[in-house]
Amino acid sequence: MKKIRDERLQWKNLKNIRVVYIVQTLGILAILGYDLTTKGLDGMTNNPVWIVFMVSVIVNAYLSMTISVDHEERQRSPVKSLYISLTVISVLAAIIGLFVSFSDGQTVWNGLLIGGIIFVSFLVPVLYIFKLRKDNLEEEISN
Amino acid sequence: MDNHVKVARVSKNLTQQQLAEKTGVTRQTISLIEKGKYNPSLKLCLEICYAVNKTLDEVFWVEKGSDSFEENKG
Repeated sequence: MKKIRDERLQWKNLKNIRVVYIVQTLGILAILGYDLTTKGLDGMTNNPVWIVFMVSVIVNAYLSMTISVDHEERQRSPVKSLYISLTVISVLAAIIGLFVSFSDGQTVWNGLLIGGIIFVSFLVPVLYIFKLRKDNLEEEISN
Repeated sequence: MDNHVKVARVSKNLTQQQLAEKTGVTRQTISLIEKGKYNPSLKLCLEICYAVNKTLDEVFWVEKGSDSFEENKG
């Protein structure tokens, strides 16, 4: 197949892919919705389509971060924002970890584990946003 | 957006197909540009200008506030 070089057709192709993506997402949501009503929450999450859906949501969230950082009206200090975010996620992880530790049938170890997982899960996007803001600031200074 | 691509192309005795081949796009894209129904990228504008031996000003300049400028602002 010949590679499309025409920018208008490339753009049109991207628009078509967007329509296909919407149809596909609606299909996935329909399948998951059906599983949720017929087999319950566990039945839905056991379906491999659930993993596909979650991976695409995460990829979409990370790709959206580059847009959000560029769209920020005023350039924030990356280091200050990083410290604020780290404080917030540390407090959040500590609170959830404590709640888990003191729940019935749970140990302190479980609380630490859950708190640690939550901390790491939030740490990755926070560090990614820090990198994007830092790169933006460096690019702005160099220009 | 309004432009002078058609005038420039005819003055160089080029058909839409020939201009399309020189600029690496399809004939339909050239047709839509001439009708003002497709806004080409700056890269394609330059390719068209190179093909017809004219400057960007001569082929694509429109006064701000003119009808052809306003209709493409949104």
